[in-house]
Amino acid sequence: MSDTKTHSIDISTMQRSHNTLRIEDEKVCLSVKDLHLYYGEKEALKGIDMIIPEKKVTAFIGPSGCGKSTLLRCFNRMNDLVDSCRITGDINLHNQNIYAKGTDVAELRRRIGMVFQKPNPFPKSIYENVAYGLRIQGINKKRVIDETVEWALRSAALWDEVKDRLHESALGMSGGQQQRLVIARTVAVKPEVLLLDEPASALDPISTLKIEELIHELKNEFTIAIVTHNMQQAARVSDYTAFMYMGDMVEFGDTNTLFTNPTKQQTEDYITGRYG
Amino acid sequence: MKMKKQTVSQWVKSGDPWVWLNAGAVAISVIMVLGLLTLIAVRGLGHFWPADIAQGTYSLPGSAPYTLVAERVETTEVPAAQLREAGINVADHHDLMQRTLMKTGNRDVYGSDFRWILDEYFTDVTKPEMLFAAERHEWGNLYGYLKAVKEDGQVVESTEDLTPTASALATWAVFEKSIERATKIYDAIHEVEKDEIGAINHKLERLRLEQRRLELNDALTPQKQADLDAKRAEQDALYQGLQQRLIDLYAQINRDTFVVQVMDGSIHELQVAKVVRAYRPNAMGIPQKIGFYGAKVWEFLSAEPREANTEGGVFPAIFGTVMMVLLMTVLVTPFGVVAAVYLREYAKQGVVTRTIRIAVNNLAGVPSIVYGVFGLGFFIYFMGSGIDQAFFPEALPSPTFGTGGLMWASVTLALLTVPVVIVATEEGLSRIPRNVREGSLALGATKAETLWRVVLPMASPAIMTGVILAVARAAGEVAPLMLVGVVKLAPSLPLDGNYPYIHLDQKFMHLGFHIYDVGFQSPNVEAARPLVYATALLLVIVIALLNLSAVTIRNHLREKYKSLEM
Repeated sequence: MSDTKTHSIDISTMQRSHNTLRIEDEKVCLSVKDLHLYYGEKEALKGIDMIIPEKKVTAFIGPSGCGKSTLLRCFNRMNDLVDSCRITGDINLHNQNIYAKGTDVAELRRRIGMVFQKPNPFPKSIYENVAYGLRIQGINKKRVIDETVEWALRSAALWDEVKDRLHESALGMSGGQQQRLVIARTVAVKPEVLLLDEPASALDPISTLKIEELIHELKNEFTIAIVTHNMQQAARVSDYTAFMYMGDMVEFGDTNTLFTNPTKQQTEDYITGRYG
Repeated sequence: MKMKKQTVSQWVKSGDPWVWLNAGAVAISVIMVLGLLTLIAVRGLGHFWPADIAQGTYSLPGSAPYTLVAERVETTEVPAAQLREAGINVADHHDLMQRTLMKTGNRDVYGSDFRWILDEYFTDVTKPEMLFAAERHEWGNLYGYLKAVKEDGQVVESTEDLTPTASALATWAVFEKSIERATKIYDAIHEVEKDEIGAINHKLERLRLEQRRLELNDALTPQKQADLDAKRAEQDALYQGLQQRLIDLYAQINRDTFVVQVMDGSIHELQVAKVVRAYRPNAMGIPQKIGFYGAKVWEFLSAEPREANTEGGVFPAIFGTVMMVLLMTVLVTPFGVVAAVYLREYAKQGVVTRTIRIAVNNLAGVPSIVYGVFGLGFFIYFMGSGIDQAFFPEALPSPTFGTGGLMWASVTLALLTVPVVIVATEEGLSRIPRNVREGSLALGATKAETLWRVVLPMASPAIMTGVILAVARAAGEVAPLMLVGVVKLAPSLPLDGNYPYIHLDQKFMHLGFHIYDVGFQSPNVEAARPLVYATALLLVIVIALLNLSAVTIRNHLREKYKSLEM
């Protein structure tokens, strides 16, 4: 199919279905309405409107500083940690405003897990890293924790590699393993949404591939939002893609369409590598 | 010439002068530290070596010659002119003369332990084998020849010889046995007096306080009074039994006496019970001397002081120092960490926080005596007397916590060292990578949970660094302690078998203060001087050990959390 080959990215080689998805058909997991975010005087997000569909992978692409990570961090209110940060607008998780007064932020973050750019395992054993979220919730039954740890490590495709050294320090693992451990740790608390902030940017190509395979597996159970610099990656793993530029949502749509037939000139310029 | 100039400027350019400068500074520091340690080690450790006892004739021009029996202590040179001015008739050809400090002992006979002599006039020096030295419970050392040993006034063994003949050695053997027996009885008496009667006194005091408390509360019913009286009678009965045992022991210990001839030829009869140990250094070989040396060092470490702290050991001071430092550590660590966590994690970073931080840093520079005054004024007089009125009214007017003691000393030192812990902990907290905190928060942990489960464990090596610095500062501090609870002689240790086992209100001894007391407050300066060095060395070792253990803990923690320099 010649029309799938556009610009520099050959979608047809990426082993994905060519069915075009329609956002109107999806169940809504997160919806964003007129979201503005200010760092002091500077407006970093300029009125974002979008939805994150349930049990699908949504990718955010765009040049550095465009606000894609900032937007991702709005979903689990990680921006609360920044003193000068101010937000207007709504984000609803299943029709419940996460910025409403009295929201239990810790509970919200349990429901919306996040994996960061650099692997950040705790200086504890592999087992304790995965069990951390459970212990925070006050779960202390050894049997329950054992089962959950195994399930989480299997979900992160890490179990076979670490099952014999569960009680060794997590800091002795390779970077790719550490990142999968962090994913396992996040999955262990059974969140509804997984936010991945450039999860593979600090990893080698093989580890990156593993993470991508993992994302494919995980989307059966979780709603996933991923920020990436790597457009091939976005094209490979995502169902929907949002292109952001300078704090604006330039274009949002299903990945095939966005990469093969962008409606905006800016999007086309970016994915063809003309700037960014 | 041109060539050389170039090389000099090249040399400067190459950076070598900096290396030399830095290495030189390090070398000088190392030499100074080593020199200091060597000086106190040599002076302090030499004290325990059994020196030979010299016997000779001392004939100073212008005074009558006499026999001198003494240990050499130290030798200096003095200008002859100075001696002439002092009225000593020194021969004209001398410019400098050797002067030696001799320890003659026998303070009860001559009035003083030490005298200076001019080596030139000390002649016919020999080291007779039968000369012996005896350490006594009072009056210092005794030097002389053993003449006889008596039991209940009856001579058991005696000799006329001053040389190691059969009869002299037999008398010596009897003497040694007699000392051994007396030492055993002495220990038994000590145990009864200090431990058993001490415990009874402690209980009686508690009964008295209980009665007083009941009286103050108007709750002293006849029933309770009878109860108390019964308990008191019980203790009294125990005391009577012990008293009887003591009388028996005292009768036994005073059985033996010995006769000794001292250097002026006079004969004295003394009780064996007064002797701690007797030895003949001139007859000892090197192995025996080493054995004796070991015993003396052990005594220094493990025994209580005697004779206004100039003899015996320093165990109570070691114990007091270590206990106070440990207690201070227990107090300062949580307090400093909590304060640092608030300043770094919770407080809004602004002018106020910055001001507080500067104030905390400056607190570390306040002279320690100021803390002592504050401890006395605030902790002891204000808080202590408040505590006494609230919790120990039965003991009034004698203060419980309203006077210096172990607790107030520890609290004062904790206050003195808390800035160090705060600064080190803040430093550690600021170095925990943000992404680890975020990792924890993103899993649904609250800030407090994140702090408690991730951040503080990771900051623990830095906290330990603060504790190490605090220990190093606190263990060597003396000035504030003099105001808040240290004494020159504490009757009992702050930790013993009597309820409540740890006596935080008790006064205690401290190595640093011991050095000051022995060195500068002692009536017998010459005898005390080596002990000053030995105690100083010990203080350095104790602090080094305390620090080393803290460093070991820190390295262990560092190993555990090392990776974080990502």
